Amino acid sequence: MKKNWLEWTVAGVSLVMVLATLAFLASDALSGPRKPPFVELTLKQPESHGNGFLVPVVAENMGGQTAEGVKVEVVLTPSSGEKETAGFDIDYLPRQSKREGWVRFDEDPRRGKLEAKVLGFEKP
Amino acid sequence: MAKEQGQRDARRSPTIRQSLQEYGRGIVGGLLFSLPLLYTMEVWWTGFIASPMRLIAALGGTFLLLLGYNRFAGLRKDSRFSEVAIDSLEELGLGLALSAFVLWALGRINWQMPPEEFVGKIVVEALLVAIGVSVGTAQLGDAEDSDDHGMGEDRDEPGFWGNLVLAVCGAVLVGANVAPTEEVVRLAIENSSLRLLALVLVSLVLTGVILHYLEFRHGKALPAEGRFRTVVVETGIAYAAALVVSAVTLAFFNRFDGVSSIIAVALIVVLALPATLGASAGRLLLRG
Repeated sequence: MKKNWLEWTVAGVSLVMVLATLAFLASDALSGPRKPPFVELTLKQPESHGNGFLVPVVAENMGGQTAEGVKVEVVLTPSSGEKETAGFDIDYLPRQSKREGWVRFDEDPRRGKLEAKVLGFEKP
Repeated sequence: MAKEQGQRDARRSPTIRQSLQEYGRGIVGGLLFSLPLLYTMEVWWTGFIASPMRLIAALGGTFLLLLGYNRFAGLRKDSRFSEVAIDSLEELGLGLALSAFVLWALGRINWQMPPEEFVGKIVVEALLVAIGVSVGTAQLGDAEDSDDHGMGEDRDEPGFWGNLVLAVCGAVLVGANVAPTEEVVRLAIENSSLRLLALVLVSLVLTGVILHYLEFRHGKALPAEGRFRTVVVETGIAYAAALVVSAVTLAFFNRFDGVSSIIAVALIVVLALPATLGASAGRLLLRG
């Protein structure tokens, strides 16, 4: 079998890449059953924007499985007046991953109480 | 070119320029055949939904397919097993590298992701890129080259197993472009059994006509005697290969989870139409 140094290099690098991939996948497979998705929400500093207010939301899946169609809801209870509800959906939130979004309110969230929760998600 | 190629046959190592051209053709083939999948959301999602065991199995299956393709249609077909194996390994490696690069360029992977997510995405995409690399290396070259290789009778006629391997490769190459999409599920759920039956008939007629009546490159002109039987048998084999490839790819993309058996069959039938086009027309064209 005659190959030049370039072909041997490519073959060698390929071997290393394929073995590394297999080793990674095998160690991942052997790490035991995965825990269900567990989504943690973090609210960031509200900003006034046009005629309303935007609050950045970070959703992080701390569990071991992917969550599909995550429904995020944030409720604003102002010091006076009615409650306001805002939210968004996340298509896919893979395990150990973060997605960011915003919720929008008419009233200033800085004068009131914000509560964020995950309503639910599907198994993909 | 023919002369350079002749040197290669004389078991001398190729020049760097020749090797680079060969890899270049492979890379172009990889992009050409798998770009639709690199641009498909469902495939990225499969990267983080599929379990690692499933990815390992898919890597193994793809490697077997590459071995088969390189053995029967590759640039150095009919060479020793070790050469075919190294070629297949290189194609898998190029597939991984190319898939990683394109996904990164498209902003689908980054270092903030957990490694399970980007490795999964790269592996899922790399499988088809690798098959594309293999086909590109063998098919996109100067036609004169491949003719030079075709010495001896059995190289011209791949035989039963060779044809089966090529049919499976063709079915995967065409079928996998459609398999991950939601549209396959839509079509399976929304169509009546009667319409699906019609789809099976259309698939069978197309397969038979492509294999024997359109005079495709490498298509066989059959002797009148026993012709009908050969047509039926070969059409059956190609369509069966398409059904199996459809079932396996659908299972890989998790389409059978919690699905009733009639919908499972409907899914397979819907996907088998593009797959059988690959198994018949693809089989003839992939031979090079």
